[in-house]
Amino acid sequence: MSKTFDRFASIAFLLIGLLFVIESRSISVSSYGSTVGPNIFPMALGAILILLSIRLLFETTKYKPEDGSKEPLQYMKFIIIFVSAAVYAAVLEPLGYVISTFIFLMIAFQTMERGKWISTIIIAGVFSFGVYYFFAEFLGGSLPGFPQF
Amino acid sequence: MSTLDFLLDGFAVAFQWQNILFAFVGVIIGTAVGVLPGIGPMSGVALLIPVTATLTSGLPAEAAAASSIILLAGVYYGAMYGGSTTSILLNTPGESSSVVTTLDGYQMAKQGRAGSALSIAAIGSFAAGIVSLIGLVLLAEPLSNIAIKFGPAEYFSLMLLGLCAVSGLAGKSMTKALIMTIFGLLLGTIGIDAVSGIARFTYDLPILYSGLEFLTIAVGLFALGEVFKTILERDKEDGAIAKIERILPTKQDLKDSAKPIVRGSLLGFFIGVLPGAGATLASFFSYIAEKKFSKHPEKFGKGAIEGVAGPESANNAASGGAMIPLLTLGIPGSGTTAILMGALIMYNIQPGPLLFEDHPDVAWGLIASMFIGNLMLLVLNMPLVKVFAKIIQTPKKYLLPIIVAISFFGVYAVQYTTFDLYLLLACGVIGYLLSKNDYPVAPLVLALVLGPMIENNMRRALTISNSDFSIFLTRPLSLAFIIVAAAWLLIPLLLKLKGRSVIVNDEE
Repeated sequence: MSKTFDRFASIAFLLIGLLFVIESRSISVSSYGSTVGPNIFPMALGAILILLSIRLLFETTKYKPEDGSKEPLQYMKFIIIFVSAAVYAAVLEPLGYVISTFIFLMIAFQTMERGKWISTIIIAGVFSFGVYYFFAEFLGGSLPGFPQF
Repeated sequence: MSTLDFLLDGFAVAFQWQNILFAFVGVIIGTAVGVLPGIGPMSGVALLIPVTATLTSGLPAEAAAASSIILLAGVYYGAMYGGSTTSILLNTPGESSSVVTTLDGYQMAKQGRAGSALSIAAIGSFAAGIVSLIGLVLLAEPLSNIAIKFGPAEYFSLMLLGLCAVSGLAGKSMTKALIMTIFGLLLGTIGIDAVSGIARFTYDLPILYSGLEFLTIAVGLFALGEVFKTILERDKEDGAIAKIERILPTKQDLKDSAKPIVRGSLLGFFIGVLPGAGATLASFFSYIAEKKFSKHPEKFGKGAIEGVAGPESANNAASGGAMIPLLTLGIPGSGTTAILMGALIMYNIQPGPLLFEDHPDVAWGLIASMFIGNLMLLVLNMPLVKVFAKIIQTPKKYLLPIIVAISFFGVYAVQYTTFDLYLLLACGVIGYLLSKNDYPVAPLVLALVLGPMIENNMRRALTISNSDFSIFLTRPLSLAFIIVAAAWLLIPLLLKLKGRSVIVNDEE
């Protein structure tokens, strides 16, 4: 259990709860047969979330101090893969499925472990072409395959 | 028509050639999903939804629904078979419900009895699958007959019970579990309100009008969260895989494990029926029970076959039992059944008491196909166990990026929006952070699915009662559900206050 994370999370959830409560006040009241309109449910839930996060915040004060032995995290690998995944999402439509998937897989494979270019190319190629042809051509699903000119 | 006639009709559906094929593909993929660490039954089922949707696109709506649900359910119970393989051979559970199998299974493998352990796990899973299916057949009719009398008040309380049960058992801190549940319910309110048609929390963004897609969130939180975790935290080198020598168990092994299998099946089934208590809890309880029943409790942890047979039967029986509340009441009790329910709703088929009346082909076809699927798994797992063991050796450096790519494909092929891909990535990071800090994510997904249904039933009930909240307490069944729901939250709290340790359920 991480005290800092839990503190941060409890404040974040507190704000989320507050946001839902405030925002649900601006939902228009419906004329539908009941006085219980579309705003009651989110407002009540927001209130409960606020109470729960206060309780969590209170609980964090009782945590025992943590022991500092932590494994170093591999941030570089993660950031490269995460950023390339975000780029992958952005170019999926303009570049088409096959090319964008191929490039993403190449980058990700090489980030995980350098070298073995030939097997990387083969696996990335088989996956991107294979999935596209199986899904779009054979099964008739729709997927943007290649760039549209 | 009697139950038997319906079941025979179900077999007629299940024996159509395409449905046999679907069940076969489902159980194979399920076994692979169970074997691969990092991809559990929940993400496996979620990722296959777009593929099945396309596969069945040529069929009439009801037949398409039956075929897809046959495949997806096959993945679900197939994963229960596969999960034992890595537990026994590698000492790393393929999914959470096989954690206890490592205790004795790996010890058996070290003693050269890996084959016996694997085959007993398969036989136990098969027996348990059949037991839970018989239970499903027998209980389906009476339960739907009761459920058909439910009004909105009863439904509201029953779903509340489901959520409380999941939150009460999940994770180490109940506060965190409840926060996740409420957060899931809140996320479920985004979009157009089904009762009044008013847009809520959409800020005029058209993409939000239909709400956040639970498929995207589930895949992000579970599959991507797990991938990010493995990338970030230096993966320990896996130990050597134990050799499999003889596959068939000895007569003594069979004799020793017969009773644990029966006990595990029954226990697992009843735990599975309860909402919130899933396969993981069932296998834990079964292990504890076997240790109590055993004449040689000291053997446990040193390669006792009872310690493999009981829990492996229990987790499979629980996955069968979990289908009961889903099919008869329309209420998913776990993350995976919530996804199965989402798949059914995609085909415009509402699980619940009317399912057996309106769509007997889907309901009974699924039940019948589960008999066939379990038989296939038994046949497949005995001779092919060596082949499946090979899947474990898939190098992580290829596996992880491919899981990311499959998640992208799965989400994009259903949603066709880039927005969902960004949401997917965000959920992946959030899922990693949350589960690393003991915030259980299963209640969030379940709440997201149940949220709109809870709200609709609540408001319908309040309309009937003229906004009088006492309707939930004056109707006897509804009151009973609420009392049980409260007990589910309060009893673990009281036990904790007394200093007793409470078993938690880390279910996917």
